[in-house]
Amino acid sequence: MSRPKEMTRAVIVGHKNILKETIDALHNTNLFHIEDFVEDESGFKISKPFKNAEEASKKLVKIRSIANYLGIESKKPVVQKSDSVLRDLDSKLNELDRTISAKTESISQLENELKDMDSQKKELLPYLSINLDFDYYRGYENLKVFAGIVKGSLEASQVSSITQAYELYFDPQSKTVVLFVAKNDADRVYELLQDLGFKELRVPERGGVPSELLRFIEQKEAEVTKRIESFKVEIESLKVKYADFILASDEVLSIESQKAELPLRIATSANAFIIDGWTPSEDYDKVVSVVNSATNGKAYITSLEVHEEEEEHAPVEYNNSKIVAPMQQIMDLYSRPKYTEIDPSAAIFITFPLIYGLILGDIGYALILGAIALAIRTAVKSDAVKPLMDILIYCQISTLIFGVIYGEFLGFSLASMHTVHGVVPGLIPGWNTINLFAGIGGEEVTFPIHRTHMVMTMIAISVIVGLLHLNLGFLFGFSNISRHHGMKHAVLEKGSWIIIELGAIIAAIGYFGGSGLMYVGAGILVLGIVMLTIGEGIKGPIELPSLMGNALSYARIIAVGLSSIYIASTVNDIAFKMIWIDHSQIGFAAIAAIIVLILGHGLNTVLSIIAPGLHALRLQYVEFFGKFYEGGGRKFNPFGYIRKYTEE
Amino acid sequence: MADAATAVAAGSLFLDAAGMKALGAAIAIAVTGLASAIAEKDIGTAAIGAMAENEGLFGKGLILTVIPETIVIFGLVVALLINSA
Repeated sequence: MSRPKEMTRAVIVGHKNILKETIDALHNTNLFHIEDFVEDESGFKISKPFKNAEEASKKLVKIRSIANYLGIESKKPVVQKSDSVLRDLDSKLNELDRTISAKTESISQLENELKDMDSQKKELLPYLSINLDFDYYRGYENLKVFAGIVKGSLEASQVSSITQAYELYFDPQSKTVVLFVAKNDADRVYELLQDLGFKELRVPERGGVPSELLRFIEQKEAEVTKRIESFKVEIESLKVKYADFILASDEVLSIESQKAELPLRIATSANAFIIDGWTPSEDYDKVVSVVNSATNGKAYITSLEVHEEEEEHAPVEYNNSKIVAPMQQIMDLYSRPKYTEIDPSAAIFITFPLIYGLILGDIGYALILGAIALAIRTAVKSDAVKPLMDILIYCQISTLIFGVIYGEFLGFSLASMHTVHGVVPGLIPGWNTINLFAGIGGEEVTFPIHRTHMVMTMIAISVIVGLLHLNLGFLFGFSNISRHHGMKHAVLEKGSWIIIELGAIIAAIGYFGGSGLMYVGAGILVLGIVMLTIGEGIKGPIELPSLMGNALSYARIIAVGLSSIYIASTVNDIAFKMIWIDHSQIGFAAIAAIIVLILGHGLNTVLSIIAPGLHALRLQYVEFFGKFYEGGGRKFNPFGYIRKYTEE
Repeated sequence: MADAATAVAAGSLFLDAAGMKALGAAIAIAVTGLASAIAEKDIGTAAIGAMAENEGLFGKGLILTVIPETIVIFGLVVALLINSA
């Protein structure tokens, strides 16, 4: 079992005139985790950022807003020299900024025009059916023009009962009214109109026939839309052209501003600076030599002795092999281990896929999910997805192995089983289960294991797996405590649990065997409880029943597994019964059966990630970690940058 | 009434021993399932709320949420014991 990487606390002291060189050197190594300085009574103060800090962050904001506007995503890096990027940065950035703002301005102008035209169109629409030149609506001395919409319908007779001097246009569909009347009668006509719920419409100011005006506006609209599109295409081409530049300069500027703002995090006096931090012990010599060569030996570096309470707060860097590394995701999801405790990633590397496989145990799903995981792993380049897919692949390997042990394929049993109650048919003809030995509750343990026919035995096996897992947790706890508080505490606090279990097992054997062993076991049990009470106080015995709860919790291994089998075999039953309904020809039932089969197994495939995954995870987090794990370590976050798009 | 009594005595109206066993197992699973659900509902809501504030609490939230699940596991064990008894 690995512990986190060993850290050395180091302090770098020097004159302020070598601060910049020191910072550059540290940044390049990317190995030094800097502890932020908090001002106290020592007289040291944090310093001011370097002069270029403000400019760099301004440019960075600009670049990022442009990148955001263009929708630039990280892509396969084209590595550029950082000097050349810096040299061209100002001119290129200004040029890019100018072009983009010019284009966005034109676009927003055009979009305003579009909006204008849209409202003009809306004004025109009611007049379309009347189709009278708008110039006819105005400029009369003795005529009043009513243009608007009424609610009911307007008959010519209604107007003619008031006056004979009128001209009426009415569209019964849109209820648009255009009415020319003599001014003298206008008031009375208006009253009539108001009774009909008249709402006046604005008459467009420009002259012309509505239908022609509409055609003209639509033509113009199409033109403007086309121009907007062409601008957008130009912007898109800018994105292609400048993507590398933007990504590279973002990186260069991020580095610049990181370095320039470092003085805010360190202690300085009038002429000197102190940088305090952590580096992996294996890299300490490298940090010393790099800083020395950058400052011609003018900086003073020394490692400090670490006290126990300081050790608790040391930053934590995992120390796992490449194969185990994906499991760190599971650790981080819970909480990073403390510097002082065991990092259980390597244990989880075994137990998590093991429990997942014990639950799922199906050749078919293992192959499907394994293929999906492999495909995603090769297709997606993201660093966040890869470890998850690795974990899924580990789990599927284990599922495949247990699939063979269980003899299951997509819910079908591969081997047929002969019991006293009859024959359970298998998928592979001629393959029969072999009876190995008697299980619990009158069940026979066979190979391949038919889980549905030996539930009680499988519960017992699950609980035994659980007990082993829990005891591994006790052993880790034992190691953690013996390292920091000595062997005596470890034996009392964690060893006592193992003794209690041992006592219980011996007592149980004695009870069923009917021998005196029972009293020996009971004695050991009491001894364990006394030790636990000494070790953990009254809290210890109170927690005793949780041991049973934790162990029984592993019964979910078979429970969740059975639910998966039953879903799969139900899907199979439905689909195959449908196919056999009408076996003379391939008809509707056969096609429906295939759909049921695919959808059902699709659903169960998704469930096969979620259910066993979550339950296996829970058994790690709650039952296993509960026995030893504290967590809450700080991430080792070295001062530096992992360059992707530039190089020195 | 008399008819019902004779029917019970004959075991035709109510369940026979096997039926009673199945019913008992079903009650064990159903009630413990409901109990877990009720308990997890409240914890889960609070855990989601906490995660909205701080995503790092996922691990702790998950653990607290699944603790009552033990209830239904006990129910399952009891149901299986009834069934195989």
